[in-house]
Amino acid sequence: MAQVKKRESWGSRLGIIMAVAGSAIGLGNFLRFPAKAAANGGGAFMIPYFISLLLLGIPLMWIEWTLGRYGGGFEHGTAPGIFHSLWQKNRFIKYFGVIGIFGPLVILIYYTYIESWTLAYSFFAITGKYASLTDQASMRSFLSGFQGLEKNQYFNGLSTAYAFFLTTFILNIWVIYRGIKGGIEKFCKWALGILFIFGFLLMARVLLLGAPNPALPAWNVYNGLGFLWNPDFSALKSAKVWLEAAGQIFFTLSVGIGVILTYASYLKKGDDVVLSGLTASAMNEFAEVILGGSIVITAAFVFFGPVDIQSIAKSGVFNLGFVTMPLILNKLPLAGLFGFMWFFLLFLAGITSSVSLAQPAVAFLEDEFNINRKKAVSILAIAAFIFCQPVIFFLGHGVVDELDFWGGTFFLVIFATIEIILFAWVFGMEKAWDEIHKGADMAVPGVYKFIIKYITPLFLFVILGMWFAQEWLPKIMMKNVSGADKPFVLGTRLGLLLIFAILAVLVKIAWGRRKNGQKGKK
Amino acid sequence: MKFSGWIFLISSWGLILCLAVFCFVKVFSKKELK
Repeated sequence: MAQVKKRESWGSRLGIIMAVAGSAIGLGNFLRFPAKAAANGGGAFMIPYFISLLLLGIPLMWIEWTLGRYGGGFEHGTAPGIFHSLWQKNRFIKYFGVIGIFGPLVILIYYTYIESWTLAYSFFAITGKYASLTDQASMRSFLSGFQGLEKNQYFNGLSTAYAFFLTTFILNIWVIYRGIKGGIEKFCKWALGILFIFGFLLMARVLLLGAPNPALPAWNVYNGLGFLWNPDFSALKSAKVWLEAAGQIFFTLSVGIGVILTYASYLKKGDDVVLSGLTASAMNEFAEVILGGSIVITAAFVFFGPVDIQSIAKSGVFNLGFVTMPLILNKLPLAGLFGFMWFFLLFLAGITSSVSLAQPAVAFLEDEFNINRKKAVSILAIAAFIFCQPVIFFLGHGVVDELDFWGGTFFLVIFATIEIILFAWVFGMEKAWDEIHKGADMAVPGVYKFIIKYITPLFLFVILGMWFAQEWLPKIMMKNVSGADKPFVLGTRLGLLLIFAILAVLVKIAWGRRKNGQKGKK
Repeated sequence: MKFSGWIFLISSWGLILCLAVFCFVKVFSKKELK
């Protein structure tokens, strides 16, 4: 009979806080948040943002930490096992848990490739490869050439991008291979330390820019901050703004993915989750609102002025990060160094997230099939490497958008809704409340008992309802996809269905083996 | 930047800074993992 091995555990409290914060702090903190805030009411955006944080983000974060620790007590580190432990009478609930492995795996597939661009650009910055480019068109052409979307004077094909992808992929696998304590924890501590140092230096550099062009004194830092922070209260009347704020909270805290469940499963029964979870969230908010909210948009305003900033803020996160920012940094003394710091900061934000995205699949193989970490990581590496290829080679055909929609948007909300219903209604709020407070170093305010049971689920149902009402049909019917891209999008959907089916079959096999093992013991 | 912009910036930054300081002070004064 196979021997049941001991599960890994975190080495220190700061270690898990840094790992969860690292998972939450990603490219979105520095690119998505400022763009969303600027486009959705500026300072007024912070009203729905903080309300969503209090009513959606923080309750879900506490639930996921608690569920993870609870599941870890039953030797389960992923949602199928955790959901089954919560509702043992239900035969099907474990299959809903498949989303908690499927979602992170799907995000991992495209995120690793995008993360590799940041590593490549940090190399380009320090070696001066884009130093001579001075306008948006040439920088955009540089990016397209790098991505293999066109052959131009900068790049002759995909080989450079592929080399950086391989480097990033191997680095990710190496960190996961080293384990929870010796790999993820150690790496996140170092990476977040460097990330915050670079973030502070970049923020200081931007805030000290003043008005670099004496002929245009209004193009200054104060007005740049004003572009992001001046409130437009009329925006609060729009449901879209509230949905954008709720969506941003989801993305930024890494809730509804399944990653926190897995990380928290390596805690012991009496370890605190309330304070640790809140600390990780506070670190993420610091990176997002204070660092992310003062670098990109402020700098873009100072160098491009009040007219161009309108279109820049709406041009999307890739344009903001890989076209506008290098152009801005090129205008500064020590451009190579600041460019390197910016892209390496994004790289560190990316890799601390991608290792967390890989962990649920590894934990699933380890816990449910009782195979060792090295074998589990090897299986994941082979599968993820194969899945990444369509993203690289069909980049311009809507594959990333499709993966991002299903893995990084739709299933997040579905998964969070399942989690909260199971936790507050099936498991029961009284038991859930006791479970949250086991070993807690601070008490959760009593009002959260009501919020977790009624307000957060209601909030999630409203988000889902609005989405179904507004976007379901156009999305399913591929209304915004060009005719040429439709086969690629359809292929991606079939691929996703196949991945989901394989995971569901694996869950069935794992539970079958478990049942046979129990019968054998009797 | 307008006065209202400063209000939103300072209150948002202040709120997050206070939360972060509160959490870290508490974390470093409490017990380690078991």
